[in-house]
Amino acid sequence: MDEYQLINGIQQGDRKSYQILVETYQRMVVNTCLGIVHNREDAEDLAQDVFLEIFRTADNFRGDSKISTWLYRIATNRSLNLIRNNKRKRFFQTIEETFTGGRNRASEISENRSDQPDQNITDEQRSALLHRALDRLPAKQRTAFTLNKYEELSYLQIAEIMEISLASVESQIYRAKKNLQQLLLECYKKKCV
Amino acid sequence: MNHKSIHKDLIFYIDNELSLEKRIAVEKHLEDCEDCRSFLAFLQEGLMIIEKEKNPTVSPFFYTRLSARLEKPEHQGQSQWVGLAQSAFFSFLLILGIYGGLRLGNNASSLKLYQPATSSILMLNDFEAEPIESFLLDKL
Repeated sequence: MDEYQLINGIQQGDRKSYQILVETYQRMVVNTCLGIVHNREDAEDLAQDVFLEIFRTADNFRGDSKISTWLYRIATNRSLNLIRNNKRKRFFQTIEETFTGGRNRASEISENRSDQPDQNITDEQRSALLHRALDRLPAKQRTAFTLNKYEELSYLQIAEIMEISLASVESQIYRAKKNLQQLLLECYKKKCV
Repeated sequence: MNHKSIHKDLIFYIDNELSLEKRIAVEKHLEDCEDCRSFLAFLQEGLMIIEKEKNPTVSPFFYTRLSARLEKPEHQGQSQWVGLAQSAFFSFLLILGIYGGLRLGNNASSLKLYQPATSSILMLNDFEAEPIESFLLDKL
């Protein structure tokens, strides 16, 4: 069954076609979301939202692009939206903590880390450092970099997903790498890991 | 090549995206510079995290959970209205705060302007009502 037969099946409400589509693309969608949000549970929840959207809007799929392109587009948009919402929530939480004198969760986590073995600390810290650096990249750079590194997509495929030119993709990835290197260099100089 | 230019190119060196000429120059510098070698290792270990965490195994119950969610009715319309109502409420509070602040500010400035003027007028009026000559004559 090719992908257009699958979409036709889904458009007609066929659950078997939908299940095949989900099982074919679930790893790809979870991996893309994970590259942006850096949390397994959030990535799976987002992937579920992506497939729900696919099921509910299957009629809108005209077949101009591949299903994977459509899925990547929804997955990256939803992941970036989640990050935006989380930032907003954190902002209000900070205000609330300022007034109520609540404890900062980040400090609690760093306190708990002292109980763990040294190797884990290093790995965890390295991972947290990379995620922090990636989170500081602008949305377009982060999306292009994630698709290139996590999904190993070509610049041409990324251009199609992001609906920008090939030169723009090259520029976004180049700047993402430069910024990432700069952020890691700052950390290296301060010996933060 | 110095440290600064090497540090700028290392991520491209790792990804094998440098020209042959630049690559040779970087490698030559790395042979002699321990600090750059150390940063290269730091960068490689950091980027290796991506390789470790990508392609996660998806939960075996992914489709089961998804099917269960498909059976539930959609609540998106309701949540959109709640979001709009929240935004409208906070906008109203913000406008009310700005308006209240402006009103308070106006009252405070008008008090400051009128107070010294009133007292100086009173003092001048005192002198006009009772000149110093008549005051001294009265004392005598």
